Amino acid sequence: MAKGNHSEHKKMIDKQYKDLMKHCQTHMEQVDKTLPEPKENLHELLTERGISRRDFVKWTSAATAALMLPPIFRPMVAKAAENFSRLPVVWLHFAECTGCSEALLRSSYPNVDDILLETISLEYHETLMAASGYQAEKCLEEAIHTFAGKFICVIEGALPRGLDGKYLTLGPKGKTGIEVAKEVTSKAAAVICIGSCSAFGNIQAANPNPTDSVSISKALGISTVNIAGCPPNSVNFTGTLLHYLMFGGLPALDSLGRPVWAYGKRIHDYCERRPHYDASEYVDEWGDAGALKGWCLYKVGCKGPYTYANCGKVRFNDGISWPIMAGHGCIGCTEPDFWDTMAPLEKPLPDKSYNGREATVDNIGIALTGITALGIAAHATATALRHKDDDQAQKQEVKHD
Amino acid sequence: MEKITSVKEWSVAIRINHWAMALSIFILIVTGFYIATPFTIAQGETVNKFFMGNVRFVHLLFGVILLFLFIWRVYLAFFSRFHADWKDFLAWTNIKNFIHQIKFYLLITKEGPDYKTLYGPLQSLAYLGLLFMVLVICITGLILMGAGYHKGFTYVAATILTPVENLLGGLAMVRYIHHIFTWFFILFIVVHIYMAFWYDAVLKKGTVSSMISGNIFKKVKE
Ligand code: HEM
Ligand code: HEM
Ligand code: SF4
Ligand code: SF4
Repeated sequence: MAKGNHSEHKKMIDKQYKDLMKHCQTHMEQVDKTLPEPKENLHELLTERGISRRDFVKWTSAATAALMLPPIFRPMVAKAAENFSRLPVVWLHFAECTGCSEALLRSSYPNVDDILLETISLEYHETLMAASGYQAEKCLEEAIHTFAGKFICVIEGALPRGLDGKYLTLGPKGKTGIEVAKEVTSKAAAVICIGSCSAFGNIQAANPNPTDSVSISKALGISTVNIAGCPPNSVNFTGTLLHYLMFGGLPALDSLGRPVWAYGKRIHDYCERRPHYDASEYVDEWGDAGALKGWCLYKVGCKGPYTYANCGKVRFNDGISWPIMAGHGCIGCTEPDFWDTMAPLEKPLPDKSYNGREATVDNIGIALTGITALGIAAHATATALRHKDDDQAQKQEVKHD
Repeated sequence: MEKITSVKEWSVAIRINHWAMALSIFILIVTGFYIATPFTIAQGETVNKFFMGNVRFVHLLFGVILLFLFIWRVYLAFFSRFHADWKDFLAWTNIKNFIHQIKFYLLITKEGPDYKTLYGPLQSLAYLGLLFMVLVICITGLILMGAGYHKGFTYVAATILTPVENLLGGLAMVRYIHHIFTWFFILFIVVHIYMAFWYDAVLKKGTVSSMISGNIFKKVKE
């Protein structure tokens, strides 16, 4: 019986994948007809950068698995990668440091993901384009007009709401960031927030937040895909775009708009130091014996247990390393308000201090318990004095009867 | 002539529930503090050690036990066949008694107010608060527990509680609140135990033993 259920279950899954494949094929044919011709030949570019055909095939396997798809989808992923440069993208910058663009587009050992990003058809990107002033403004207007309803709006940076949004003005006409964002996102097929600033506000929105900066979704009241991270991993961005190219829709998102395939589990769940956590082997101080042995960084403030991200799985710089592997704890950069909620970054959570010195929860708790004990002692003494004669009173009562 | 008789105050269920809760809370505080500030065990091979793993297991086990004890206690408050005491938890709404009770505790008056309910006005508020604390710590605990599991009951519970998690500001804040409530428990229990003994000493009705035997002494006029 159980076996029968099992094979039936398998049949059902097979059917679902078949349907998904059909959906993917029809969608990609559609894309072939409607999207502009590829601007770049991916394979030529890859050869130029010294990435062999074999490397590319390997990458498609990895990307397919990362998107939680079975291997039969490999050719579709490859096709979507070739189509990457056909997807019109308008890239906006608001209150940010351009670190995300830098991290994504300027790696010294580019992997396929990074090269893919280079092929992206940027109709508008303030940092990278040659045009400026009125000319740039015209580019943007043209792009959103020509590709209305088709282009992807990628946003880097938070939106300040203070001073009627005037903490951030852009372009020759001095439009506020909020105005520009409203204009462009209303015409976009989808809005992808890249980096924690646009996704959650990040450092601009950290306490005391003088410019009243907030995330794109909060500022505009729209839902966005949030590729969180400071900076995010290029894989999480390309994967989401590949998914869009393959299926014509956005991947499943968590309650904070982050793609589940990338942000579904915690750093702590993927961490290679996890066995040391469970074995009570901790680094107590930077550079101690435990640090040399690669023990868990929990006591030097690792925030991996509170952070949803796949850094440990996909790593950075072509999979060379990632923060915890390099010996520093996670600081929780993919979580909303992490500068405030994860502080202090190099100490465990309960070491958060309220006066810059000893006032942590535990010390406050100990002090309050002490005060309570003193209060109890005083109350007990006072009670002994006050109710001293109770017994006698009772006896007298008896006599009286 | 006055006579002292023994009256049944607590049902067996309430007593088992109470002491099971007290034991669970005690274990949860100890294991919880280890999870918050663990000491390193440097001796031995990693493969042979699982101390944090075991402490977490005990914490989660008693956490889930506390959750069910809480549900059972709420059930008893409404459906106990001995005495469904949910109305007694509202004794604090009697303002006159409330003030009188404070005067009694502050030793201004020598006699407490006369109430028909199971709990005095301050007691009812205290136990309501205690049960609320159990609820909060169970909810935050379930969220923390669900974060590490991706299947089953815990996962479902954590998914339902996701809006709460986001409202509180993410897992880090949930964990911090869980930690703060641990201290509330400690403070509360210190006072709770003192008050139990205080009642015992002042009223001489056997309050402490009543939670064990179920019976309390009452003076009745003959
Ligand atoms: C001297 C021993 C103690 C006595 C006489 C005592 C007595 C009581 C009484 C009379 C109640 C209200 C009854 C009820 O509503 O069920 C109560 C409630 C409670 N007690 Fe205690 N207690 C004692 C120790 C403790 C300890 C050590 C803990 C925890 C570690 C504890 C935890 C609680 C909790 C959580 C409640 C509220 C839940 C509830 O109302 O059932 N108690 N206690
Ligand atoms: C009176 C009851 C409880 C007390 C005193 C208590 C105490 C604690 C403390 C102090 C921590 C460490 C927090 C930190 O790192 O700052 C903790 C963690 C935790 N508690 Fe509790 N807790 C209680 C009940 C529960 C319940 C009912 C559950 C679950 C149903 C639970 C599940 C957890 C989990 C999952 C963690 C995190 C462990 C980890 O991620 O490794 N706790 N608890
Ligand atoms: S280093 Fe951080 S993420 Fe890794 S096991 Fe330790 S606490 Fe968890
Ligand atoms: S390890 Fe943590 S802090 Fe570092 S990049 Fe990943 S999520 Fe951000």
